[in-house]
Amino acid sequence: MPQSAAKLSVSVPLALAKTIRKRVGARGLSRFVARAMQHELEREQLGAFLAELDATAGPIAKTAIDQARRAWPRL
Amino acid sequence: MAEALILDSEAVNALAHASERAALAERARAILTVAHERRALVRVPAPVLAEVCRGRRLDAAVDRILNGRGIEAISLTPGCARRAGALLAKANLGSDHAVDAFVVATALEFGSAVIATGDPQDVSRLAAGHRQIRVFAI
Repeated sequence: MPQSAAKLSVSVPLALAKTIRKRVGARGLSRFVARAMQHELEREQLGAFLAELDATAGPIAKTAIDQARRAWPRL
Repeated sequence: MAEALILDSEAVNALAHASERAALAERARAILTVAHERRALVRVPAPVLAEVCRGRRLDAAVDRILNGRGIEAISLTPGCARRAGALLAKANLGSDHAVDAFVVATALEFGSAVIATGDPQDVSRLAAGHRQIRVFAI
């Protein structure tokens, strides 16, 4: 991690902790958690931004959303 | 691998001025809404900033959408820049399309991606043959 790091102490369900440790190993845990926290934060910020745009610029047409849904790759 | 929505300068400008230009921003807001639904990452390749940061007033609008809105600028790595060069060569396009190529090369860093762009023709040409990338015209 290039920036200075903070040590956090958090409690998570035991089964989840076991599954994650198995997947990423003890050394990969910080990176995994940091990435998950970053992703969740961005998601909440994006949701708030979209709500703000709805309030200031008005809602968007459902047809525009439907078109945008069809734009994603189906792999 | 993660899914991403990549924004080019047209998409960034549309979102940065969405309140004043609601109709123009509708498609950009729609694709952003679906990115949120799909939990996709939303990224602006660093070279796009060169096209949208053109003085204090415009910069402030860009800063507003890049500051705590869940939309992050992504640095250009040497590997990504080289890939952009290869894409230009393959599409037989010159350096005047370099930013479009950086946008497509950035999209290729993700498992799958949608590129929201004001220049769907050239971006599609650069992304040709990559099924994991789709182009969405703003």
